[in-house]
Amino acid sequence: MEHELNVVGKRLPLHDGVPKARGTAQFTDDITFPGMLFGKILRSPVPHARIIHIDIEKAKKVKGVKGVVTGQDIPDRQYGIVPKARDEYALAKGKVRYIGDDVAAVCAIDQEIAEEAVSLIKVDYEELPAVYDPLDSIKEGAPVIHEGVQNNTSMSIRKEFGDVEKAFAESDFVYEDTFYSQAVNHAPLEPHAAVAQYDPLRGDFTVYSSTQIPYFLRRNLSSTLMVPENKVRIIKPKVGGGFGQKIDMFAKDFCAAWFARETGKPVKFVYEREELFISTRQRHPMYITVRTGVKKDGTILAQQFKAYADGGAYNSTAPTMIALSCYFLMIPYRVPNLIYEGHHVYTNKPVGGAMRGHGIPQARFAVERQLDMIAGRIGVDPVELRVKNSIQAGEPHPAKFIINTCGFEDCVKQAAEAIGWKEKRGKLPRGRGVGIAGASFPSGVSNMSHISSGSVVQVGQDGAINVLSGAADIGQGAETVIAQIVAEVLGVPLDDVRITAADTGTCPLDPGTFGSGVTVRAGNAARLAAQEVRKKLFKFVAKQLGVERDDLAAKERFIYVKGNPEKGMSFKDAIKGYQYDNQPMPIVGRASWFAPSTEPTTLFKEDGNFAPNYSFMAQAAEVDVDLETGQIKLLKMVTAHDCGRAINPMLVEGQLEGSVVGGMGQALYENIIVENGQVMNPSFLDYGFPTFLEMPEIGAIEVETDDPIGPFGAKEAGEGTQLSPAPAIVNAIYDAIGVDFKELPVTPEQILEVLEKGGKN
Amino acid sequence: MKKVIELSINGDLYEVLVSPNQTLLEVLRDQLGLMGTKRGCDLGACGACTVLINGEAYLSCIMLALDGVGKEIQTIEGLNQTKDLHPLQKAFVEVGGIQCGFCTPGMIMTAQAILNEPEKPTEDGIKRKMAGNLCRCTGYKKIVSAVMSAAEPAGEEV
Amino acid sequence: MRLPKFSYFEPVSLEEAVSLLSQGGSAKILAGGTDLLVNMKHKIEVPSALVNIKKIEGLDYIRTHQGAVHIGVLTTLKKISQDPFLQEKIPALTQAAASVGSYHHQCMGTLGGNICQQNRCKFYNQSEWWRSTNGPCLKVGGKVCHVVAKQENCFSSYCGDVAPALLALESRVVVQTKNGTKDMALENLFSGKGLAPLALQSGELLKEIVIPEAVLNGRSSYAKFANRESIDFPIVGMALWLSPEKKEYRAAFTAVDRRPLRATSVENLLNQKDLTEDLIEEAGSLAAKEAQPVKTSLYSSAFKKKMMGILLRRALKETERGTQS
Repeated sequence: MEHELNVVGKRLPLHDGVPKARGTAQFTDDITFPGMLFGKILRSPVPHARIIHIDIEKAKKVKGVKGVVTGQDIPDRQYGIVPKARDEYALAKGKVRYIGDDVAAVCAIDQEIAEEAVSLIKVDYEELPAVYDPLDSIKEGAPVIHEGVQNNTSMSIRKEFGDVEKAFAESDFVYEDTFYSQAVNHAPLEPHAAVAQYDPLRGDFTVYSSTQIPYFLRRNLSSTLMVPENKVRIIKPKVGGGFGQKIDMFAKDFCAAWFARETGKPVKFVYEREELFISTRQRHPMYITVRTGVKKDGTILAQQFKAYADGGAYNSTAPTMIALSCYFLMIPYRVPNLIYEGHHVYTNKPVGGAMRGHGIPQARFAVERQLDMIAGRIGVDPVELRVKNSIQAGEPHPAKFIINTCGFEDCVKQAAEAIGWKEKRGKLPRGRGVGIAGASFPSGVSNMSHISSGSVVQVGQDGAINVLSGAADIGQGAETVIAQIVAEVLGVPLDDVRITAADTGTCPLDPGTFGSGVTVRAGNAARLAAQEVRKKLFKFVAKQLGVERDDLAAKERFIYVKGNPEKGMSFKDAIKGYQYDNQPMPIVGRASWFAPSTEPTTLFKEDGNFAPNYSFMAQAAEVDVDLETGQIKLLKMVTAHDCGRAINPMLVEGQLEGSVVGGMGQALYENIIVENGQVMNPSFLDYGFPTFLEMPEIGAIEVETDDPIGPFGAKEAGEGTQLSPAPAIVNAIYDAIGVDFKELPVTPEQILEVLEKGGKN
Repeated sequence: MKKVIELSINGDLYEVLVSPNQTLLEVLRDQLGLMGTKRGCDLGACGACTVLINGEAYLSCIMLALDGVGKEIQTIEGLNQTKDLHPLQKAFVEVGGIQCGFCTPGMIMTAQAILNEPEKPTEDGIKRKMAGNLCRCTGYKKIVSAVMSAAEPAGEEV
Repeated sequence: MRLPKFSYFEPVSLEEAVSLLSQGGSAKILAGGTDLLVNMKHKIEVPSALVNIKKIEGLDYIRTHQGAVHIGVLTTLKKISQDPFLQEKIPALTQAAASVGSYHHQCMGTLGGNICQQNRCKFYNQSEWWRSTNGPCLKVGGKVCHVVAKQENCFSSYCGDVAPALLALESRVVVQTKNGTKDMALENLFSGKGLAPLALQSGELLKEIVIPEAVLNGRSSYAKFANRESIDFPIVGMALWLSPEKKEYRAAFTAVDRRPLRATSVENLLNQKDLTEDLIEEAGSLAAKEAQPVKTSLYSSAFKKKMMGILLRRALKETERGTQS
């Protein structure tokens, strides 16, 4: 790779850590404008019904109410992540499909009046039979949730690689098991919110939204409001967590914009916590049946998967989810023969959407659990089994992935060592156990219709460096990482770089924060843009110093000749000189970066390289099961992550640590419980995700493989991290009490039941 | 029926017109523009709305504004008394105990309440007392480190 | 979520409070507010008036008088949990107080408020919109209990942590009434009826808790089984008091019935006997029969009953040994 690094690779605090610590960082609900109105959404209390009539008269008459809108008033435009997934209206038209569906909205001079008015809207529903389990939903005669969608299956994918039947025939053993992964809610601390303004003379909308993808929101708002895209400007303020739940447009965005136009006032919508649990998005529950053929030494010859994803009432990111779930079964292990059949099925329940891992955690749970079960059945150590089947960098891949760097084996070995695998597995007293699991995640993915990441770097007369990026920082530190990359290229400290991001009115296009691609995509775009600036500046400096441009290097605000560090000039002098050389200021560098892939996925086209690079990870867990009460305590988890190169090790660690607790929640504590279509635990109290006291001992190991595609060798470290903690924990439970759990979450109640029956040994 | 009350917030006196049914969180954010205190759930189950009342950690979303009368209220905006960061704020920034930042004001205020208690804080005690502050980003580890490092006696009063 | 509107009063004496509370309409006491205000946001409790009793002086104390412990109802849970004398003598109480909600709830919450908390149910503790799916349940004035579709009975559960500890400690409660004070065993405070869990007349309010001297020389503990170690209500809570010398045992449960329950059959089984493995085992099985929990929470009754026995057995072993969790 390159020379030494001075900013990249350093543990540096977030560039916006101080305002966050002070409470001055501005989130969407912190934004106020004079005369601002407040909105509230009316939601369906029934799971499946035709809307016969909506009476808004009483609501309109409440003093202080400035507007009421229903599905009947809005354009007939459905929206979605890609054209074939467009099945949702901003406010329901004609029909509601789940308890919580958006039906109408009110805006008023204060929140209290808006709440009162909403409760006065009377809706006549003609209830329809509802269906809650995808396995019922697909049957003949099941209630039709979306007209024209056969068997309530909105997306299906069937992929075949190699010759599975032949491979099964050649296997020494073939095992089939079925697994279930539950509905989990992202539960970001900041509720979804939007503030909109409208300029009637220019026909311009400005919408501040707690969103992960300002550019999608712009497109969806433009389409549903039926205004040109260039008349919608989305500005992302600080976002208090997303994890995938803030990817889609929501009624709050549409209604805020709608009312801003209708009333001529700024309008704010902020969701209540229960609305996040019911009416935003959740991780798709999935039933997965896995059939695996192995040789007696544990080499995997073939796998066959059948998956049913419970999509809830609408599609959201269904196409991507189902594709990811499929393609990421072929990595990190060598699976030369594979059949994947996946279905996204509607039910009259809350909507499944992208959630950290996006279809892969569920698949990973199935694969990693079964691998362990197979290891037990054929008498091979689970760590050895994983190492044996691990893909290597550069080897040909059945789906044509190009894997330039792969640290999987390293991750498995390091995680195993750090947990004390050899000393502990199978050797601890009953109730204690260790387990391991691994995964891989696409990094820098930008498939979802040809979107590139852009960046502009400007250096002004004052020497200040301004970066424009479309990247959406939702707390993971994207802005800081991008600034570090620019600082490294230009040879200045991080604190000299300012970044303006995620304002569609001023910043370049970006696919947004999903698919764990920000560092790779936006980072690369910023790197290239900074290099353009560097080239221009260095050309001038080289001329001054009488050397070639390529002879120069820069660090700590000093541009110098390689090998002769005294010979050089300060950044400040270089800028001044450049300016007085009559070169145009500011110095501007501009670049776009587009993932070199043939995008096989979303549209299920031909196979090809799914992502610019792939991260790999393994988690090893140690658990303690209380044999009397059934309570499971995660004592320790070590997560080893091949992120190529950690641009900011402290931030990467933060991702790894956060994912451990998130994965633990998924394995042991969290479950969206639905009875007759109703979420029974839509609160922080009843949906109990882990607190400080549940926190295990966490070890985070960054494995660096220095990828050629990623900026400075980097790969993702934000999403892959949450793929395999859950199976690692459940694998550890097997070691602890000899029971194979195939469903998530694993609860004390289940443990007790199984222990009572004698457990399995 | 609204009435005028006087609230002492961060050492300053504010006269506000409030209804009995307004919570302290609503008054802080909606009337006084003190946006640092956050609304995460509005039902007292996440700690994002933590303020100090006479130095103790309270959930301002389930507290009437009227109940703030006659008390010393401290919000995140009032934590640092000088132009520099409060040691807790500094620790959170430097140690990486912040990601999205939404839980951060509540975390820091609870940490201050812990430091206000007479006993020296232990790691276990910190976890126990901060467990009412939820975080979905960090996994808590760096927050504990931040509070521990700010709690180290460095000759300064925290 | 906005609170509904209400009239607001700040009495400065107990007598004034009683007078305000008995004036027709539906006035409720505001102490810490951590239970009531949440319920008001959910619009399951919508009092016409709130009587904020925190301005009444002389209700915040922990003292002994003639050997008995007297605690004023406005004493915070935090203060109780941190009191060294209580920690030493009646740890069941301090452990229970320390287990309520989170640290913040303990700073804000009071002894009286925690004891008098409203009963809970998964169909009840929800927002007004959420509840519109099933229509009003019996507890909010509807016709049907959504958990058990019988008309007359509300099966909401009492889930407070402190009450079982006080019951196991044979506590008494002093109640302020229109005609001065009255004193009764704490168990008589609880009606056992989901619709109106407290057996108090209109206008009556708690003044203090009295824990008799006789229990101060025993050993006690409170065990809370919950999903997480903070914030949550108990799935099952169990308080135990015993005197190894006198071979006396008291056990009480919470979150398994409409009120906190003394496990009297268990106590009868154990009293006057030495604790053996077999006896502890038997007590555990008997504990499960003490209550008929109904699925008002996300946890099944069968599981709760199992946990009752498990917690009792564990507590007996540990408290007897002198090693408390």
